[in-house]
Amino acid sequence: MSRTSDRADGDIVRDFLSVADLLEEPQLAQLYAYLAREGEATVQDVMDDLELAQGTAYSYVNRLVDAGVVDITDDEQPRRYAAREIDLTVTTATGDREYTITPALIDAVGRRETDADIDTYIGRHGVAGLATALTYAVARERGEVTHRLMAEDLDISPLAGEMILQALRPVVHEHYDIEEAGAGLDELDIDNGDAADDA
Amino acid sequence: MSRLHIADTGLFVAMGQSSNSRYKAVRRFARRNDVTFVLPERVYEELTVDDPDAEEVPIDTAIDEGWATVAAPLEFSEPVVSRVMDGVQRYIANGDDRPADGVERADAALAALAAQHLNAGTATEVYIYTTDIAAGEGAKTVLASEGYGDSVTFVNGFRFIEDLVAGDS
Repeated sequence: MSRTSDRADGDIVRDFLSVADLLEEPQLAQLYAYLAREGEATVQDVMDDLELAQGTAYSYVNRLVDAGVVDITDDEQPRRYAAREIDLTVTTATGDREYTITPALIDAVGRRETDADIDTYIGRHGVAGLATALTYAVARERGEVTHRLMAEDLDISPLAGEMILQALRPVVHEHYDIEEAGAGLDELDIDNGDAADDA
Repeated sequence: MSRLHIADTGLFVAMGQSSNSRYKAVRRFARRNDVTFVLPERVYEELTVDDPDAEEVPIDTAIDEGWATVAAPLEFSEPVVSRVMDGVQRYIANGDDRPADGVERADAALAALAAQHLNAGTATEVYIYTTDIAAGEGAKTVLASEGYGDSVTFVNGFRFIEDLVAGDS
């Protein structure tokens, strides 16, 4: 094997390990997802928007920079940071399954801090299981599958399926273009009274 | 003119616990407009399953409060009921390239219940509230092919609740 390909392999392994860290630590995943969403931000923005103490914010940002998943885009003070695009396909040891680590998945993992349903699901099915659920969540928002088909495929109860699909819905709408389907209240042709009646 | 409001599992999951503003907004809507949400039996079974991984859904509270109820079993002896059932199963299967008999029948039960009431004349207008777009679109398409296109509305459960909550604030 040539030295060049050794180096390329080394880069891939290094990338993988940094991404694995992100998936292990929801706070880092949350920060990465924030930077991916904002495009660019300063540590002050991070402190304000994610309500982190200054020391914590600096330490997290530096860890992401060291891991190579966040770049410094402007070295003038205050420094600005941006997320690097991540798209890594992982095959499980048995080779029977494959999933892709995307910013959407990292965002979903980051939400386990604040979303009990996502936290429960990862606890039960792991990050790989959440990755699978996320692909179903995208397909369901596109009108390709229902929560019952997902539940049947994954051998979970339809209720548990519906709960994780609903928990992942904001992630899907954040990262994918989804056309709106079905009627809202306005198209219901029901006069919902006047809000003032509601004493 | 009588209206029938058929609710799927996702609508009740999206409302959350009875203390929460989404649940209260839907309850207020139901009371103000004299609406009772009707659940196909299979939907009720899904909502009340004993699953330690899933948080309990307060469907029995809604039933006790009088704005939700469970439908009687479907009358499959009515040809239109079984036709709509099969039609929706095929529609959903096509969307995901799987055999129609591999599709859960509960997905099609929403539309079948609508067909039963439209056919019997016990409803002239039906609203189907679901968070599964495939089930909602499938119901609308198949019921239209039975001549009920103008009588059926697929209500997106998420949009419905979001609109109600926004209107309340």
